Amino acid sequence: MMENPFQETLFQRNRAEPCTVVIFGATGDLTHRKLIPAFYNIAACGDLPPQFKVVGFARRDKSDEVFRAELEAANRKHSRQGHNDELWATFAQGIHYHRSEFQDLEGYKSLKVQLDKYDQERGTAANRLFYLASAPEFFEPIMQLLREAGLNEGADGKWARVVCEKPFGKDFASARKLNDTVNATFDEADTYRIDHYLGKETAQNIMVLRFANALFEPNWNNRYIDHVQITCAENLGMEGGRGGYYDTAGALRDMVQNHLFQLLSLVAMEPPTDLSADSVRDEKVKVIRALRPLVGPEAVTQNVVRAQYCAGSVDGVQRVGYREEDRVNPESKTECYVALRLMIDTWRWQGVPFYIRVGKQLPKKATEISVHFKKPPQVPFATSKMLLNSENTLVIRIQPDEGIALRILCKQPGQALSVQQVKMDFHYSSSFGNASPEAYERLLLDAMAGDATLFARRDEVENAWKFIDEIQKAWHKSDNPPPMCEYPAGSWGPVEADNLLRADGREWRLL
Amino acid sequence: MPTAAADPAEEAFAQLGMEVPLAQVDKELKKLWEADNAKTRASLINFAIYSEEVANLGRNNALLDGITAQHACRALMILSRPTDGEPRARAWINALCRPYHGQQTVCCEQLSFLLDGGGAAQVQNIVFAHLDSDLPLVVWWQGTLTRNFEERLSSRIATLIVDSATWANPCAEIDVLIDARERSGGKLDIRDLSWTRSHFVRLALAACFQDPIACASLPRIEEIAIRHAKGHRVAALLLGAWVAQRLGGQLDDRLPGFQFQRAAGGPNISVTLEEVPSGNALQSLSLKGKDMSAVISRDADSPYVHVCGSCGDHRQDEIFPADVETETELISEQLSRAGGTTLYSTMLPALRKMVGRAGCD
Ligand SMILES: NC(=O)c1ccc[n+]([C@@H]2O[C@H](COP(=O)([O-])OP(=O)(O)OC[C@H]3O[C@@H](n4cnc5c(N)ncnc54)[C@H](OP(=O)(O)O)[C@@H]3O)[C@@H](O)[C@H]2O)c1
Repeated sequence: MMENPFQETLFQRNRAEPCTVVIFGATGDLTHRKLIPAFYNIAACGDLPPQFKVVGFARRDKSDEVFRAELEAANRKHSRQGHNDELWATFAQGIHYHRSEFQDLEGYKSLKVQLDKYDQERGTAANRLFYLASAPEFFEPIMQLLREAGLNEGADGKWARVVCEKPFGKDFASARKLNDTVNATFDEADTYRIDHYLGKETAQNIMVLRFANALFEPNWNNRYIDHVQITCAENLGMEGGRGGYYDTAGALRDMVQNHLFQLLSLVAMEPPTDLSADSVRDEKVKVIRALRPLVGPEAVTQNVVRAQYCAGSVDGVQRVGYREEDRVNPESKTECYVALRLMIDTWRWQGVPFYIRVGKQLPKKATEISVHFKKPPQVPFATSKMLLNSENTLVIRIQPDEGIALRILCKQPGQALSVQQVKMDFHYSSSFGNASPEAYERLLLDAMAGDATLFARRDEVENAWKFIDEIQKAWHKSDNPPPMCEYPAGSWGPVEADNLLRADGREWRLL
Repeated sequence: MPTAAADPAEEAFAQLGMEVPLAQVDKELKKLWEADNAKTRASLINFAIYSEEVANLGRNNALLDGITAQHACRALMILSRPTDGEPRARAWINALCRPYHGQQTVCCEQLSFLLDGGGAAQVQNIVFAHLDSDLPLVVWWQGTLTRNFEERLSSRIATLIVDSATWANPCAEIDVLIDARERSGGKLDIRDLSWTRSHFVRLALAACFQDPIACASLPRIEEIAIRHAKGHRVAALLLGAWVAQRLGGQLDDRLPGFQFQRAAGGPNISVTLEEVPSGNALQSLSLKGKDMSAVISRDADSPYVHVCGSCGDHRQDEIFPADVETETELISEQLSRAGGTTLYSTMLPALRKMVGRAGCD
């Protein structure tokens, strides 16, 4: 096939290939709030491939027109770059609705007829991207029936890919089963597991910061780094009925296994040999595999703290305790806060703890990574005790207010030689005025372009679950389970989490 | 401080902020920041606008306001009047601020200089003395590349922005650019707003030929026709040359007009331009060949271009974002593109030949 000569030299970014996207669960919240606005914004940037089509697959009966009108209303509300009627009109021409139950083979056969018809109109067979925006229990029937209907393979050398939403399993066994199911239908190279944290500018910037600056990488090891903290704090609880899902998952499975382990891998990985998807993911998975396992209730008690919030107040507003929340079991044993001390058994990280904490109803919303450097061997200045305890810290703010800050020590002006902490602070939005694309825009574009770098690979997901399963086992299946601690809503978590670091002579960073 | 009551442009100077003695610019800037703790200063580049036209002053001042709202920089505005008499210089400082996250204010510094009768050395001294250290220097040189555009200055410029639409003698200007780039060992990153004016047309064209059937018809293209507004002939020539070159064509020196011969054989490609009195800089690009056509066109005021293609029975109808038009948008677009591009520079020799055909040698 002839190469498009106009592509060359024009683009610094991935180009989406012409395709039809089928969204399973297209009448749901994710499609309305994230997926359609993301596609629309890709179109507004001129990056949507020609003759692009979206087919929404769900069970309620509706016409293309009604479906388009619903999506239009959602786009008006959620689109990052606003809504333009002229652009929408052209974009919406490519949106169609296909009514079917997920478990009904006939629905897939008629989907195939519909897709073939679009190909005919287009004059070529198109690539196909199947997006699973459904609850995970439907992944299996959807995969099986896609295969049975012969939709899992592209015709005439075209591709067929699948994008899976989180949660990808609830433990190692279910993730493996899900992976087997997906891989029985699509090759691993055609499987894109979304972790929207990887689509965030600042997460992508971790690699740039580390490998494009000669300043950091030589110090990025156990000779110079004392420890690393990763915090993901939310100031919300179970609003909007989310207690129903959350109570079946908990902080460890909902956030740590995926998002926080992804951030951890980016911070701790070795430099990849190149920027291909597999080189990067090879290095990331090595980090997860090198995590020292926490086996048995004793190891878990020593290294992990779980907790639930009790009544308190956030931003001056009174909040109920976790077990009193809407759709949460009043006897729930699900953690909504977890803090972990993790060790990575590699030469680079020997002896350097990685402390991770994530929780609901904390004082503010913030996801940040802080790298705490070792103190100099000797400080020849008269300093206060407080300052003797302070070290150089590099902070990578993932959200909100994305940026990078470096804390250093300086001489305080005056006759005495006293030392003071100062912060050099870089804010993305004050330096780069233009708004960054939404994580979903970047990820959808990458999936359409065939770049899987920012998607989780099977071994990453499964190794992460293996590690998490041991903790779950100690919590839920042992005779002497580690305690469930408590913290008032609006505080920075339970005292036990503070003690986890205090035992090592350290403290959580003040955010 | 110089008394300038007699200067006819005095009224325009009043918009430039606070006039300060030239030797005290840094000191006065410091005071400006100390006066308000709530302001955060942000800067990623030194962005200088150089002009020799007093009439541009007000427009440039407004432009900087728009540009700094998007791009954190130290903004330098230099107005050089090559008058006779003693060299004389005046300076103004200003903070251009915008709200950020609703609470804080982020500001860029604007330093404006009026240079009378000083020549190239004076321009250099003023620029070099007032850069934010370690940050790259981006210069928008308005109008002709006069004798003040001299090697000592050009060698310190990381990115040079010009607008060939404003040149009276494009041949001479292109020669200066080719020369400056050669002297820099290919390092000088040159951006021409005329080239930026076709950015989205080029993107739309590339997207349109992502379609495999359309792509297969490319070797059949014989005609490239471009409609442009008066004053934007260079933008149209650049676009035509780029399309023809991407199709494997080389400008044929023996044939009249703009005929490109395909290295790989196949039909010649002719580039024709149609000028209309007003409207958007580039209004349509059409490609024609045996059994195929593609037209990218833009209605006045529409933020989109329409792409309409046909190959036999196969049809394509899409819309894509249209090119920005205002100077603020064009400059912003350039500043958003990190890393530079060598594409324009590689187009310069072909452009020079095409412009030369119009008879300016
Ligand atoms: N919402 C988010 O922001 C978000 C964020 C990250 C991950 N996710 C994940 O994305 C997935 C979808 O989330 P969501 O919030 O969009 O869910 P949702 O609002 O509950 O939507 C579910 C969708 O599935 C369809 N559906 C359910 N059962 C069906 C069946 N038997 N046959 C055909 N269609 C059926 C529904 O169609 P009908 O309307 O026709 O019944 C609806 O379109 C979940 O796995 C979730 O964990 C969501």
